[in-house]
Amino acid sequence: MAHCMLNQNSKVGDGAHCAGIYSPIIDVLREKGWRIEQMPCPELAFAGLNRFWAVREQYDTAAFRRHCARLATAVADMIAVRVDKGEDVVLLGVEGSPSMGVTITSSDPSRGGRPEWPDGSPELVSGEGIFVEELRRELNSRGIGFPRVAGDTHAIPGHHEAAQRAVVEATLAKEG
Amino acid sequence: MKRDERSFRVALLADRYVNPPAGGVDGIAVAADAGWGVMQLPADDYPAAVAQRLLFEVAEQAEEFTRHGYDLVLVGECDGLADALARVGLGVPDAINPEGPVVLKEFLDARPVPRALRRADGEAG
Repeated sequence: MAHCMLNQNSKVGDGAHCAGIYSPIIDVLREKGWRIEQMPCPELAFAGLNRFWAVREQYDTAAFRRHCARLATAVADMIAVRVDKGEDVVLLGVEGSPSMGVTITSSDPSRGGRPEWPDGSPELVSGEGIFVEELRRELNSRGIGFPRVAGDTHAIPGHHEAAQRAVVEATLAKEG
Repeated sequence: MKRDERSFRVALLADRYVNPPAGGVDGIAVAADAGWGVMQLPADDYPAAVAQRLLFEVAEQAEEFTRHGYDLVLVGECDGLADALARVGLGVPDAINPEGPVVLKEFLDARPVPRALRRADGEAG
């Protein structure tokens, strides 16, 4: 699971929607008997706690890709161990995130410079975040199938906790 | 936009408190109740090389939190953590090996106000 679900302190400024642990998704995992494995936050160690909100294009540099590839190697190691033990794996990301989005990321090729933009979400587009792309590449290189995915949808307009829970439950319930 | 809700408190949790065995201490439940975020430490069944890579990333993130005045504690034990933290200039934070949830909750609740929060409130720190 994405780092911030267990640690909202890793969020970009103004992005933490609770003190520490975002429990709705954790609760589902616990109820269904799933083991929890936390991934590192790609943005925290790279751009730091004082980073600005950003879209994919602002992070899509060779240096950030190298950073994500390093993290992806560590995460792929974890996944490989679990797959070797015959365990089922599901990837829980953060929808709308430039790095952790699993089906929705953020994009705006013109964004840059002085960080002023209106609230709203015109930057949301279908696609994966940069870390998730690097993880897909790493798992593919090892011949490991990419896990089923679901995501925290707090950043998505119309977010509804019950709908999010239903998606996570359905994803967990599918055959691995 | 609503106020940022972060607690500026992060617990490094050994895996047995994240994925507790039957009868074990549910560190996630306690941390959630106490308003702490969690960084999970590698499970004991990972090969040393895998655990080492994961601890490297944990340490880099811990360094960022510490530099910004977040409170950091260790719950449980993890081989290799001290070395990983030392590589980024950190010592092992205050730690506890709780035998029950009440002890863990008391430990977390008794921590001093994080330096980052004291700064935000205008105190010297």
